[in-house]
Amino acid sequence: MTLITERPGPGAARPYRFPQVVRRAVAGGQVVAAHLPGQSLAVALLLLDAGAGREPVGKEGLGAVLAKALEEGTAQRDATAYALAVEALGTELVTALDWDSFQVSVQVPVDRLSAAVELLAEAVRTPKLDPADVLRVRDDEATALRMDWANPGPRADAVLRGDIFGTDNRWGRPMYGDPVSVAALDVDDVTVFHSEWFIRPGTLVIAGDLDRIDLDALGATAFAGAGGGPVEKGGPVEVPRHDRRRIILVDRPGSVQSTLRLGHPSPHRAHPDHVPMSLAGTVLGGAFTSRLNHLLREVHGYTYGIRGDFASSRRFGRFAISSGVQTAVTAPALVEAVGEVSRTRSEGVTEDELAVARFWRAGQLSVELQTPRAIASALTTLVVHDLPDDYHARLRESLLAADVEQVSAAASAHLHPDSLTLVVEGDAAIIRDELVATGLGEVVDHTP
Amino acid sequence: MPDSGYPWPIETTRLDNGLRVVVSEDRTAPAIAVNLWYDVGSRHEPAGQTGFAHLFEHLMFEGSVNVAKTEHMKLIQGSGGSLNATTNPDRTNYFETVPAEHLELALWLEADRMGGLVPALTQETLDNQREVVKNERRQRYENVPYGDAWLRLLPLLYPPGHPYHHATIGSMADLNAAGLPTFQAFHETYYAPNNAVLTVVGDTTAAEVFALADKYFGAIPPRADIPAAPDGRTVPTAGRPAVETVTADVPAPRVYVAHRTQPFGTPGYDVATVLATVLGSGRGSRLYQRLADGERIAQPDLVGAYGVDLAHAPAPLIATATARPGVTVERLRDGLAEVVDELSTVPVTAAELDRAKALLSTMWWRQMSTVEGRADTLGRYATQFGDPAKAGERLPGWLAVTAEQIAEQAAELLRTEHDRVTLCYVPEEKTA
Repeated sequence: MTLITERPGPGAARPYRFPQVVRRAVAGGQVVAAHLPGQSLAVALLLLDAGAGREPVGKEGLGAVLAKALEEGTAQRDATAYALAVEALGTELVTALDWDSFQVSVQVPVDRLSAAVELLAEAVRTPKLDPADVLRVRDDEATALRMDWANPGPRADAVLRGDIFGTDNRWGRPMYGDPVSVAALDVDDVTVFHSEWFIRPGTLVIAGDLDRIDLDALGATAFAGAGGGPVEKGGPVEVPRHDRRRIILVDRPGSVQSTLRLGHPSPHRAHPDHVPMSLAGTVLGGAFTSRLNHLLREVHGYTYGIRGDFASSRRFGRFAISSGVQTAVTAPALVEAVGEVSRTRSEGVTEDELAVARFWRAGQLSVELQTPRAIASALTTLVVHDLPDDYHARLRESLLAADVEQVSAAASAHLHPDSLTLVVEGDAAIIRDELVATGLGEVVDHTP
Repeated sequence: MPDSGYPWPIETTRLDNGLRVVVSEDRTAPAIAVNLWYDVGSRHEPAGQTGFAHLFEHLMFEGSVNVAKTEHMKLIQGSGGSLNATTNPDRTNYFETVPAEHLELALWLEADRMGGLVPALTQETLDNQREVVKNERRQRYENVPYGDAWLRLLPLLYPPGHPYHHATIGSMADLNAAGLPTFQAFHETYYAPNNAVLTVVGDTTAAEVFALADKYFGAIPPRADIPAAPDGRTVPTAGRPAVETVTADVPAPRVYVAHRTQPFGTPGYDVATVLATVLGSGRGSRLYQRLADGERIAQPDLVGAYGVDLAHAPAPLIATATARPGVTVERLRDGLAEVVDELSTVPVTAAELDRAKALLSTMWWRQMSTVEGRADTLGRYATQFGDPAKAGERLPGWLAVTAEQIAEQAAELLRTEHDRVTLCYVPEEKTA
């Protein structure tokens, strides 16, 4: 056996280039496109300023219900005819919602793109929204959420979010709502939300072979009949941190694992520390090789996986850790996880760890940004966060340039182990005493 | 759209030790996908050793003679790459996508664990990964509603002794009993160059890859007499339907209807693929139109039908629906069975067929839109059908399926008396 013992070094670097970005004002809206020569599939995505952040408090889930109601027939055809027309093109209407935006998209062979965009615009601009259909869709959505909430995770996520942001705020409640909030919506809520936010032009994002795509025609289709200007988006919100750490126990009798959700508030997306902070998150919990996964999975075998990261939207952000651990090791897993957050805050990161994080995040830009969908998603980041065309190139440079001092400083400034809310969803009767004994903080039972 | 489903170049060679190497050059982006298919899966596991192929997959990331424990992940991620591995009844695949300048590193790592895993394998590593896998089982199968459906369907579809009778995740008892010598022998038996296909797709050339493959893999000795898995091509028919009802902590009644069809890769399975799309993909599908929209007995997000692409025995086709509030499991079960039964009596229309083919075309091109998607596809066709270029035949195969063929297959294979498997979940009564 003569395996080569010496690890090969890298060859000459072949730098990644983000596709050429085209921005154009068309028919009262904006078109933002990326040129992918030779690509047989294309993506069209209509980006509306109608994210969950636009939903009034108490109306959580409005956007999600409206998303489904869009496909229940239009001014021109009923639901079945609409479904058949879309699917005959080989596509489906994909809706997505986050805090900052509502997105509707199609992915099709490029020669079918204009037909697909016509159907997309038909559903978004002129949905029938028949009251009986809206109520049925609402009930279905409430049922779907009830199904989802039977899994471990959604309840713990909601409890964490509520505790760190406060349930008086929209952003302290689940992004997609919960079974109760959705069931309480009425027809007017949905139709008013549509007329307020879905008639504004928005931005049409296109990723595909632009030599075969007429951007002006697509824009004219997407923005036909739209009106109303942009609306003030609101600045970052101040989220106070807790002055002590607490454990909130969510009972799930018979659970063979405990679901862990740990978190505290963190800066919004435009904060100047965004890059070093996210690299600190990568070292701590963002990659397979991160500290948390190494310790809890590879050393202790407590879990199939654990991750932690900083996530941010225009107005707020949060640091969170999530995992599922075997019931019997809930307490030690929690102690170890909090310990790693503390250690990362006080000791910072090492050059070895940071090198992996830095090259991984930079390399992922070339590895992940291959498909029309991935490119379209990257373009939406530019639009939502008002970033320049060369953002991805600059991001790569700033990732590679971040040094140990900057990233350690960001860890020290933005990790707050003493303010963590520790949500544990599991079999309370088995784990409560051990959780109390950890001394990590007061144990509070969640009461729904 | 091109006539072939694979309009990129494919070049192949075979090293002296039997390792097949497949290269597909594409200079679009500076990324390269490296993919290894080992022709070993849970179908090779004897009784008492269920879950071993998958647990072994975990051990492949824990170090080899020249790579320290956890270094594999660190080196790939530290190069900007993505990586993973999966195990299914048929095979085990390992893959990474890296920025193009790190191709050689990826090949070195793969060669080291193909040729030098056993000396680095320790009891400590095995014990650790056994716990990780048991947690994977809890997380994916035991701690979620309906999570064990696949574990229950397989033994109903395939009799004891059949290579697909047990699920890849294995049983807790077998995992607990797993000993180090068994895994050392497992590697020596199956992880040989002549039992693998190395596929590289992306920003490189065939000449470069062939030379590097020879440099890193060329000295790994082949293994004679790799034992075959039991032959599962012929499944004796039970001649009667099987029904299992599970009362569990689930939020709503759910029904699965499953049948054995044809092995993946055959014209018959192309028919099954199109049939499943007509039946259960999208809002225009029969299941959606009839059960979610028409009778409104099923939850719209949770109706569907799909084939499971297994190549070494008649592969399963599964249709499923979950009840809307107030709908009984009996009504749902009858409704689902009726729609499946009608595939042989109510002809598939031209519009239904076109819709299914359009959806399948997009799905195919989506898989082909990444270098890793292409690498895995070529590795599959080289491993299972002896020729990566056969990948180009799949899409034309789907597009050639006719309505008559669907009706014939439904009549031949999907009727109740043809060993239909029905699995029902019923929510347990809450006493609170």
